[in-house]
Amino acid sequence: MITKHKLEITLPSDTEILMIRSFNAPKALVWEFFTDPEKVRLWLGCNGTMTVSEADFRVGGTWRNVFDAGEAGIHPTRGEFLEIVPTDRIVRTFIYDVPPINEHTITEYADFTESNGVTTVKILVKYPSREVRDGHVQSGVEFGAGMSYDRLDEVLSAV
Amino acid sequence: MTSTEHLDAIFGALADPTRRAILARLVQGEASVNEIAEPFAMTLPAITKHLKVLEKASLITRSREAQYRPCRIHAEPLKEIDEYLQQYRKIWEDNFDRLDTYLQELQSKGS
Repeated sequence: MITKHKLEITLPSDTEILMIRSFNAPKALVWEFFTDPEKVRLWLGCNGTMTVSEADFRVGGTWRNVFDAGEAGIHPTRGEFLEIVPTDRIVRTFIYDVPPINEHTITEYADFTESNGVTTVKILVKYPSREVRDGHVQSGVEFGAGMSYDRLDEVLSAV
Repeated sequence: MTSTEHLDAIFGALADPTRRAILARLVQGEASVNEIAEPFAMTLPAITKHLKVLEKASLITRSREAQYRPCRIHAEPLKEIDEYLQQYRKIWEDNFDRLDTYLQELQSKGS
């Protein structure tokens, strides 16, 4: 039987979010689905349909994804690749391209490891400040909302 | 307060470890300021300041009746935020589940 792995979301600090998810697939294949824009488009929906999926996949190259969330509007995102270690690591900047939030740059670190045919992807999202992270939460966008989850868990588990 | 300001107040209130500890204490039941302050190496005015932040975010209520004005947790705003964050988690679970499906399909075709 194929086991489905759970998504883990934790908060290493006030300005970071860490997401960890494993897949029953070799690293090279998972890597393709994170780096080839046509394959990214297949699964990365966030809360809408991906209408633009572009990436100039090299250090210094830029990427752009646009999501159409219907009544919730168009959500353009973009950034630049800072570091690429084939099948192991991608570091890129992330900008939610709507003023005034687009003044802030978020950095994402994605690391890929494989063990016994299972690939684990760790995505660390770093915000310049708590305010930026909160701004993202309130826009209902992307990575921001995971922030207080585990903290709330402590409290809510007892309520 | 607008809903955005309200959300700001809640997140701001929860960002501090002392205030989270106070909420965790109040989950056990209502308590006076003195009782709340006991485990902390803090002055009463410092604790009172934290309580005011929690009260402003509607995370606690303070009784006007008894003289020692016991504090009670008010969990509604927490539930509101929790629902919101559940949505965020859901979005990412959906994304990764979709990816999982593609990976499985591709591999079963290949073998």
